Amino acid sequence: MAELDIRLVEDALDAAAANAEFVAAHGAAGAVATFAGMVRTEAGAVDHLYLDWYPGMTEASFREIAEAAAARFDVSALAVHHRCGRVDAGQAIVFIAAASRHRRAALQAVDYAMDRLKSEAALWKREGGRDGERWVEPRAEDLKDLERWTHE
Amino acid sequence: MINVLFFGKMADILGRRALQVEAGDAYLFTVRDRVFEEALDTGRLRVADIRVSVNRQVVTDDMPLHDGDEVAFFSVFSGG
Repeated sequence: MAELDIRLVEDALDAAAANAEFVAAHGAAGAVATFAGMVRTEAGAVDHLYLDWYPGMTEASFREIAEAAAARFDVSALAVHHRCGRVDAGQAIVFIAAASRHRRAALQAVDYAMDRLKSEAALWKREGGRDGERWVEPRAEDLKDLERWTHE
Repeated sequence: MINVLFFGKMADILGRRALQVEAGDAYLFTVRDRVFEEALDTGRLRVADIRVSVNRQVVTDDMPLHDGDEVAFFSVFSGG
């Protein structure tokens, strides 16, 4: 049974610190794969995101995705840390890590979890910047990324 | 009382994040119809865009509501 570390983070997310913590706790497995996502400025058009969340439901959606990743790939630990609230451009919005005896399982678990989070996380995203504010829905390419895993 | 919560675009459109409804013999669809009427009047949302949950489980069928239940309305998840 993989050890899961699910966090909904209201303050700044320090991806380097999260990485160091995960490696210290799970590095002995042999392989650790990590991913950190930052808010892009989109050529100056975006200066922040606001992620609305439903306490309880949002964490449950992260956990469901982490459990599916752990069941699908041979990983001993998986971390999903995701921001909520206002996240300024350049700040970390998500950190994912997986530990395994095998590098490919760790890499695939991170890739799979990220693809699912991009379209299925129970979050509502509003983009703010030069042209005002607008609610964002999953993009066609995010849904296409998700499809990759249904054909394997 | 039944707690009704709104998230994302739904909260923006309605201009509030919560309301309370008398439990009485309320059914989910009675509450939903009242909320939909208000949301759709704004012209900024379609029924197909709105999801409903009861006690944090997304539902599609009508059901009786009980004192203390939590109902939420929101647009499709944006993802992370």
